Amino acid sequence: MRGSRPSIGLLPWGLAFLVFGLFPLLYALVLSFQQMNPLRPDLTHFVGVSNYARALTSASFWHSLRTTVFFVVGTIPVTLTLAYLVAGQLATIRRGQGFFRAAIFFPATVSMVVIALVFKSLYAEDGLLNGWLAASGVSRVHWLQDVRTALPSIMLMDIWGSVGYYAILILAGRKTLPPEQLEAARLEGLSAWEVERRIVFPHLRPVLLFVVLLNTIRSFQIFTEVFVLTRGGPLESTLTLVYHLYERAFYHFEMGYASAIAYLLLALVGVVLLVQRRVLMSRREAPLSGGVG
Amino acid sequence: MKPRPLGAYVILSAIALLSFAPLLYMARVSLGQGGDLPISPSDWWGRPFTLDHYRALAAGGPMARFAINSIVVSCVALPLQLLLAASAGHALARRRFLGKNVTLALATAFLVLPRQVTLVPLYLLMAKLGLMDTYAALILPHLADPFGVLFMAHYYQTMSAELEDAARTDGLSAGAIFRRIVLPLSGPGLAVVGVNGFLTTWNAFYQPLVLTTSESMRTLPVGLALFAQSEYSVDWGALLAGSSIATLPVLVAFALFQRQIVEGVLQGSGR
Repeated sequence: MRGSRPSIGLLPWGLAFLVFGLFPLLYALVLSFQQMNPLRPDLTHFVGVSNYARALTSASFWHSLRTTVFFVVGTIPVTLTLAYLVAGQLATIRRGQGFFRAAIFFPATVSMVVIALVFKSLYAEDGLLNGWLAASGVSRVHWLQDVRTALPSIMLMDIWGSVGYYAILILAGRKTLPPEQLEAARLEGLSAWEVERRIVFPHLRPVLLFVVLLNTIRSFQIFTEVFVLTRGGPLESTLTLVYHLYERAFYHFEMGYASAIAYLLLALVGVVLLVQRRVLMSRREAPLSGGVG
Repeated sequence: MKPRPLGAYVILSAIALLSFAPLLYMARVSLGQGGDLPISPSDWWGRPFTLDHYRALAAGGPMARFAINSIVVSCVALPLQLLLAASAGHALARRRFLGKNVTLALATAFLVLPRQVTLVPLYLLMAKLGLMDTYAALILPHLADPFGVLFMAHYYQTMSAELEDAARTDGLSAGAIFRRIVLPLSGPGLAVVGVNGFLTTWNAFYQPLVLTTSESMRTLPVGLALFAQSEYSVDWGALLAGSSIATLPVLVAFALFQRQIVEGVLQGSGR
C-alpha cells in the first residue's frame, strides 16, 4: 500500500538539509584537519591532527573552556532553583495562571541581542544600576569593564532571561502528575512540604534532568551575549568557547583551527549528552510526556 | 487542605514585574529625547515622552533598512518553511523507504548539536556559491532546520490515514491528496511550526552576522548589535527604539500564539 521509495515531498527539505545541514557538519570535520585561510584558498593543505594538538596545548583554548564551564556551573543551579520555585508558585494558583505564565515566559522569546542591549544600557557607566548605587551612596561598579564583575554580569543576565523558560518546562512536568495521587497524599495527612518532597520532586526528576541537559547545551553555546556586551574582554575574562571560535575564524581567518575548536565543542556536548542519557535511562519515566493545559 | 494562593499572587506579581522591567525600561528610553539614559525615578516620569527616535527611524537610514531586511527574510522564509515541513513531514510519517530511520536520526541529532559547528563551513559554502551578502544566504539555512519536519512527521503519525486512503481508492493523485486533504488538516501543527520558525528566523544572529558583509544587508539583530559596538558614545535612545521595533513582532506573535510557542519549546524547538 505504501511506497517503498521516498515520496517527492521529502525532496525539497531533504536537499536543503543535505546542503545546508549535513554537508557543513561533515565539511567542518574535514576542515579541522586542514590549514585553511579563505583569503588564500590555494594554500589549503592537510595538517593532520595539529589543529587539535594546538587547541589542547593553547592557553587561550583552555581559558575559554574554563570560562565556559564557570558560566555553566555558576548559572545552572541558580536558574534551576529559581525556575523550580517559580513553577511551584504558578502551580498553586488557578485564576490568572495563564497571565502570569505568559508574563514570566515572554522574555525567553525576545531576541538575545535585544536583551543584551538593554542590559548593556543598565550596566553602562552612567546607566540605571550605577545611578541607583550613586543615589544610595555606594561607589560605581564598572560592571562590564572590570575583570571581576564582567562575567558575573553576563551570568546574571542569562539567569534573568532563562528562569521563565525553564519554569514553563517544569510546570508542564508538574501537570503530568495525576491529581488523584496528590489528593491521596493530602488525605493521608502529609504536609505540603512532605507532598513536595516525597511525591512532586521524584515525579519531576526526569524533567529536571532534561532541563539541566538543555540548559547545559545552551550554555556551552553562549556567544551573542558576549558579542554584544564585552567581545570577550576585559582581558579575555568573558572569552567563551564559541566566542573564541568566532574570533579565530572571522578575525584571524583560521578556518581549520576554528573547525577543530568546533568539533571539540561538539565532542564535549556529546559527552555531556551521553552522561545525561545514562542517568535518564536509569529512570523509567519519559522526560516530558504531557502538554501544557 | 487548601493552598494559600494570596502569597503566591504577591510573589508571582513581583516576578512578572521583574521579567518585564528591563523591557519597560527599553520602551521608556526609546520614547525619550536624545541619547542619554534615565537613571532615577524622577527621570522616568519627569522627562518628556516623544516619538522622536521612531520618527527618525521611519525617516530612513540604516535602522529602517535593517528592519526591511528582517521583514523580507522572515516573510520569504516562513511560507517555505511551512511547505517544506508539511511535505517532508508527511512523507516521513506515511511512507516506508530505505534510509527513513537514518533521516529521522540525523534530523533529531541536528536538533541538539551545537549549531555553531556549521558556521565556518556555511560561510565558506555561501562564498563559494557566490551568495555571500544576499537574501538567499540569509534564508536558505533556515530551510534546512529539522524541527518543523520532525514536528509535522509526529503530527501526521498521530493523525488517522483513513481519509487519505479513501481518497486514494477514489483515484486521487498523491499531489491532490496532499493539497486537498492533508494540508487543510495541518493547521494546528503548522501553527506551532510557523510561530517557532518565525521566532528563530526573526531573532537569528550569528548566521546573518557572518553571512552579510555590507551594512545594507544586515538584519535587525545584526545591525543593532554592530551599532552598539561603535567606538564613540552610544545613542541609547535610537538603539533601544530599534530594539523595541525588533521586539514588537515578537510581542504580537506571542500574544496570538503563546500556546503554540510553549508547545514548540516542549518539543525541543528552543535554541
